[in-house]
Amino acid sequence: MSAAFAVTSLHKRFRTQFGRTESVALDGVDLEVPRGEAFGLIGPNGAGKTTFIKCLLGISHPDSGSVELLGSRPQDPRSRARVGYLPERLTLPGAWTPRAFLASVTRLKRLPPERSTIDSLLERVGLTDAANRKIRGFSKGMRQRLGLAATLVGAPDLLVLDEPTDGVDPLGRVEIRQLLGGELARGATLFINSHLLSETERICTRIGILSRGRLVRAGPLEVLTAVHQRWRVRFADGSAPAAEALVALGFEPAESDAWEIAAADAPALNRALDGARAAGALLVELERASRDLEDVLTEALAAGAA
Amino acid sequence: MTSFAVALDLLREAAARRWFLALGLALTGLLMLLLTSLRLEVVDGALAASRLFGQPLYHSIQAADVALRPVFLVASQIVFWGGLAFGVLSCADFAPALLSPGRIEHLLSLPVRRWELLAGTFLGVLALALAGAVYASTGLVLVLGAKTGVWTGWPVVSAALAAVAFGSVYAGMLAVTVWVRSAALSAATGAALVVLGLLATHRTTLLDLMGQGVGRALFASVTGVVPPLGKLADAAGALASSAPLAPGGLLRLLAGTVAFAGALLAVAMWRFDRRDF
Repeated sequence: MSAAFAVTSLHKRFRTQFGRTESVALDGVDLEVPRGEAFGLIGPNGAGKTTFIKCLLGISHPDSGSVELLGSRPQDPRSRARVGYLPERLTLPGAWTPRAFLASVTRLKRLPPERSTIDSLLERVGLTDAANRKIRGFSKGMRQRLGLAATLVGAPDLLVLDEPTDGVDPLGRVEIRQLLGGELARGATLFINSHLLSETERICTRIGILSRGRLVRAGPLEVLTAVHQRWRVRFADGSAPAAEALVALGFEPAESDAWEIAAADAPALNRALDGARAAGALLVELERASRDLEDVLTEALAAGAA
Repeated sequence: MTSFAVALDLLREAAARRWFLALGLALTGLLMLLLTSLRLEVVDGALAASRLFGQPLYHSIQAADVALRPVFLVASQIVFWGGLAFGVLSCADFAPALLSPGRIEHLLSLPVRRWELLAGTFLGVLALALAGAVYASTGLVLVLGAKTGVWTGWPVVSAALAAVAFGSVYAGMLAVTVWVRSAALSAATGAALVVLGLLATHRTTLLDLMGQGVGRALFASVTGVVPPLGKLADAAGALASSAPLAPGGLLRLLAGTVAFAGALLAVAMWRFDRRDF
């Protein structure tokens, strides 16, 4: 599968007007995102996430390194024509209606601004009722939805979304997740930069952690959150032997009446499970023990700081 | 084509601003006032007396087009200098708004080249200036034509000259904004260019009054580059009043003004292309 984008050894420093180095925003980032994937970039404030996106789209110029966007340079308008970008704080023309704004974006994307297409986009983001209202009267969530509609103009191959659910109510977030799911099903690539780790977990299949301008972790979500050599098991209600017996077999109590066990390999795991079954326990659930993204982020940042 | 789309968006944005609606209403009101109040009487193809709001302009009997010269001359000066002042104040915010955080990032992510964005902004403002100048001058031509039977298109050409002059001023405002995003600085640059343009008009006289030194050299170099707006205004007045005008002189003036605007735009585009947002 070809890459939606690939960056190699990306460096970016911000300097004062007199050329003195002020801060390092990106410090040798390498990242390749295959087409059709949902990738989430997370990290603390000031980690360089937005700078990364700006370098990716040609909005900022990297000091060194290379960027390939949909098989071309980001400066090539033809590659940007296949990208939909939602900035973190999109400034919208307050005196315009959503229809006029989307028509403008459509024209700038060199597409015919057909009313039916624009109305369909407004419907997808739930703004049909506000189609003729001035944008200046919109709430933050409505503005975010309109920004999202603008990114969908022309059915782009790559969606780059900086905090897509920022300011959106919980129901709206569900709708946006469904909408992004639809885009993924269409074959689009999603690149999401979000502070909301739970949102990122729900949408993305691969995660990258950026800290101090460096990509300290990147990989599939289940691999990043997996805890090596630990398994979580659940026994049928009433079937579990006394806790002491399970503890003696190496099981440790976990939350929600589950148990966890460390096992170096499959035979060791099965020996422990056989012991529990011999003691009368009926196994109903077995999975790799995992952590949530917050734990992964905390650990990665601590390792990066060390 | 993309530049035209950007220019069209700027015109839509301008249409939503109260400043421009007020200008349109004010111009229309003024033209209506002239249409209903101006008393000009033409006898046998000649103007017996031209009276503006009851006050005689000329006492001698003259051909109508000659008698109307001062009216067209004054009108062209009002359109020229008034248009420049209004343009500097009302258009100062367009480029800073274009470069505002959250908007410029979105625009740059679209398949638009950076120079197209700047060119579109410049074209939009130029179209706005031209539309205002042409609307005012055409209205005046229609009112005076209906009153006197003298129909001339030269005041409209003269107004177009005012728009070209404003274009050179706005190119400077745009160039400064690419470095520092500030509507106040943009307006100050426009005002400074208008003043420098006036000084450039009287460059030779002023240089004669100055002693040798760095200040004189600086003044000579700056006013040698800035278009002499006073001369452009005189040419616009001469065109509007159908007075004799050396065609070569006007062409040189126009070429210099366009070259000045083009150079500033080129510098602005060079800087804009390298800037991070």
